[in-house]
Amino acid sequence: MSTPRPAVSPLAEERRLERGLLRELFIGQCLVLALHLAWMPAWLAALALAVAGYRGWQWRRGLPRVGVVTRLAAVGGLVLALRWEYGTLGSIDGLIGLLLGVYLLKLLETQDRRDARVVVMIGLIATVVAFLHDQGVPMAAGALLALAWLLQSLVRLAGGRDRRQAWREAAWLLALSAPLMALLFVAFPRLGPLWSMPRLDRAATGLSDSIAPGDIAELSRSADRAFRARFEGPEPAPDERYWRVYTLSYFDGVRWSRASPEQLAATLERPVEVFVGAGTRSPWQAPAAARFRAELLLEPDSRPWRPSLGAPLATGRAQRYLGDGTLEGLAALSSRALLRVDSSGAAPAYADPAGARWHRLLPVDANPRTRALVERLWRDSGGDPDAYLAAMMARFGEAPYRYTLSPPRLGGTDRVDAFLFDTRAGYCSHYASAAAVMARMAGIPARVVAGFLGGERHPDGHYTVRDYDAHAWVEVWREGGWQRLDPTAVIAPERIEQGPQAVEEGAEAFLADARFSALRLRELGWANRLRLDWERLEYRWQRGVIGYQRESRRSLLARLAEGWRALWTRLEAWLPGQGALATTLGLAAVLLMAAGVALLARLGVGRWRRQRDERRLVGALQAWLARRGLAAVPGESPAAHLRRIAPEAGPAGRALNDCAHDLERLAYAPLEAPERAARRRRLSRRVAEVRRRLPRPRRGG
Amino acid sequence: MSVAAGVAPPASRRERLRRWWRGRLATPIDAPLPQRRLFLIPTRFGLGWATLVVVLLLFGINYQNNLAYALAFWLFAIAVVALLRGWLNLLGVTPALRLPREAFAGGEACLGVVLRTRRPRSALELHCAGADAWLEIADGVGEAELRLPTPTRGRLALPWLRLETRWPLGLVRVVAWVSHDAELLVWPRPLEEEAPAARRGSADEAAGDFAGLRRFQPGDSPGQVAWKQWSRSGVLATKQFSAPPRRERWLDFDACHGDPERRLSLLCARVLAHHRAGERFGLRLPGLTLAPGEGDGHRRRALDALARFGPPAGEAAR
Repeated sequence: MSTPRPAVSPLAEERRLERGLLRELFIGQCLVLALHLAWMPAWLAALALAVAGYRGWQWRRGLPRVGVVTRLAAVGGLVLALRWEYGTLGSIDGLIGLLLGVYLLKLLETQDRRDARVVVMIGLIATVVAFLHDQGVPMAAGALLALAWLLQSLVRLAGGRDRRQAWREAAWLLALSAPLMALLFVAFPRLGPLWSMPRLDRAATGLSDSIAPGDIAELSRSADRAFRARFEGPEPAPDERYWRVYTLSYFDGVRWSRASPEQLAATLERPVEVFVGAGTRSPWQAPAAARFRAELLLEPDSRPWRPSLGAPLATGRAQRYLGDGTLEGLAALSSRALLRVDSSGAAPAYADPAGARWHRLLPVDANPRTRALVERLWRDSGGDPDAYLAAMMARFGEAPYRYTLSPPRLGGTDRVDAFLFDTRAGYCSHYASAAAVMARMAGIPARVVAGFLGGERHPDGHYTVRDYDAHAWVEVWREGGWQRLDPTAVIAPERIEQGPQAVEEGAEAFLADARFSALRLRELGWANRLRLDWERLEYRWQRGVIGYQRESRRSLLARLAEGWRALWTRLEAWLPGQGALATTLGLAAVLLMAAGVALLARLGVGRWRRQRDERRLVGALQAWLARRGLAAVPGESPAAHLRRIAPEAGPAGRALNDCAHDLERLAYAPLEAPERAARRRRLSRRVAEVRRRLPRPRRGG
Repeated sequence: MSVAAGVAPPASRRERLRRWWRGRLATPIDAPLPQRRLFLIPTRFGLGWATLVVVLLLFGINYQNNLAYALAFWLFAIAVVALLRGWLNLLGVTPALRLPREAFAGGEACLGVVLRTRRPRSALELHCAGADAWLEIADGVGEAELRLPTPTRGRLALPWLRLETRWPLGLVRVVAWVSHDAELLVWPRPLEEEAPAARRGSADEAAGDFAGLRRFQPGDSPGQVAWKQWSRSGVLATKQFSAPPRRERWLDFDACHGDPERRLSLLCARVLAHHRAGERFGLRLPGLTLAPGEGDGHRRRALDALARFGPPAGEAAR
């Protein structure tokens, strides 16, 4: 039944909010704030608590609303605190902080429904801003929860009776709108940015563009994801998974560093176009040589590095192809992105535009013991570079070199000497550096390549490459092409085949910084399965939803069109008649028939139900009569109604009286089941008779 | 002459247009609200929501952020669904009026509105002549009272009833106007005479002895129904008392003093007082005489006559 309500409408916009609604708003704020928790300054949480506590106190004590001075002071304090936190308000972090702070402070002056709706709107904006930080599955789930909560508080504001009703309505809204949302999401064209927006600064992680022996060991302590990849077509064997990222061609005696095209252009006094070309195809090598086609899912980073398996040959989007056979994005990534890369799987087959001389530069007079060793090996190999390189690699295998992730520290200027003859323990960057120096000393152009080796293959076929997969190796120029040399493969072949976790020595350094990573549990079968399942879900989410950009939209729509065409041809084969018109007509006829059957079934069910229940039957008759201007007066029972109109109903009068009689018998008389059924049938016949015989009302009468 | 003839048709056309427009706008009472008489009017919050969707979409485009796209589309889709659900919340509601039994000038009339539906409805608002109420319908019937101010005596044609709902999100107002020709007969404001107390004491108010039963007739006071009898025999009967011969009182318009409204108010108060006392009374108004009688029906007839009273032409000219 209806509930009598007070005369003042509680839905009026200006009515003061009840305490329960304020609490709902605050919980909604907390949910939205939770999305930002990992990135926002911690004192914002304290601000939330302070505002809520003040409102609660104000409510209990019946204090007046907050004055304008206090509010201005609160906003001023917020601005100062943000300046102190970020140094400026102009950065996007500062702007996000300001948005969150204003969102929280708005609760102070939320008095009526209009204010409450403004709070909810700011909450939705704050939710979307959280997607700047992260778009992973947990973030999406949290945002969905926050959205549901905000919606149900809106339902409460619009007059929802209690929490249960509000949640039910919010759930209906979300569920019914989801298909339309999905359709729009898939079909809406993906445009490029309309204007440039302030971007979040991403910390540079992973590989750096200069390596001193000892650097990559830092990376082995971290389990952060570098990128993910999926191959279309053949997948590389484990010893082919050399992901090239940077070439390091400048050695100062301690550190190998990268020379960017701009630096090379400045140093060698040549135009920068010599060293780099932008486009979707490599200007250096024909794409016919492509062996692998990988779809990369890149993590956001402040540097635009792009890995490629061997020399990059073609990409899905325009990139910068560098002369050293590496790839660079046109801009840094602030969120994850998909990139298709065709690559050769081998070192570049073209000369570096920096020239052979650049790749033979070494500091003079450094590392005398190494120089002596090189001269001896060169003499022994009879001046044949290939024989010399083979001898050099063989020496790495013979001498008592150890592969360890925690080698002794090297010092002084002759570090290669110290490594090769004293400590004799190190990992990839030590060996790569030593090998490159030895090659250069023999006059063979050489460079160190920094990148990744390996990656974890998931059961569904995608690879995850992590920071601890970082690797360094050497490329030497031989007879019209670069050639890959990996001294680590000689010393620790298990590193190449099974990854860094297979190395026994110094294993305590492995994953040292990822203390709580699920990767530490990879020995446990079920934990590892769970981790793999989660990573697969995450990968699919990132690839399918977050990476759904222009290219994937086009391919999906093409697939849909293709599916439709296949369906159409099957329909054409199945339906009689020839040509598109006949098929369309046939299809329409089938659909119409289906609709007709559905309608008939529905009518039949309705009639059956009415016949089972005399009250429904008579109720329907009463509604029918009401539409003809013979409605019941308030307070009149159905039987009385039918009896009252019977005298005026002409030929239907008798049936109406019978209906009333039967209805009363069915309702009040103690009848046996067979008689009850018979009366019901009679009643339904009488009702039909009334409908048939009632004179039509005169139009305009 | 010709000018007048030329002017008259446009006026009537305007009148026709107006009638057509009002018929186009409103639903007659006692009929279910049809699809074509429900009007969707966005609220300020709804416009804000539209802006929000556009802002989120621009955010998604400029940051190439697919979750922002998704949220923008979801908010849009939610608005579409909310529109539909709000519309369904009002569609098919059958309003009916329950006119107030009595209304005195200067007071309030409690206009009852009964809404019938088949599905449950939420947060329906009713507006009529500045009064508003809201209700929910859980199982079939909902009822609310509108307290209409009745400032003056006489016929009061009630304005249209407005039904609206902002369910479920407050993005849009679904409005339906319900036309009806109900009018209230507002009785005069009762005005007690300054010194009537002396006469009242002497009134022979003693109810007489029980004289018998007669068949119940609509209008008999429930206080006089023989309920015990009814519970035994199932027949409604009214107890009758042998009233001692009472002095019949005539309430005369011309015997009162003051302007006509004041006289009507005085007469009204006296009708009420005599009815309370259970006395027979007659009413004499210029141009209308009500024979003496008693009971609820008589009271109503008398008060209606007072409410309908229009001053005779001669008096109005004076």
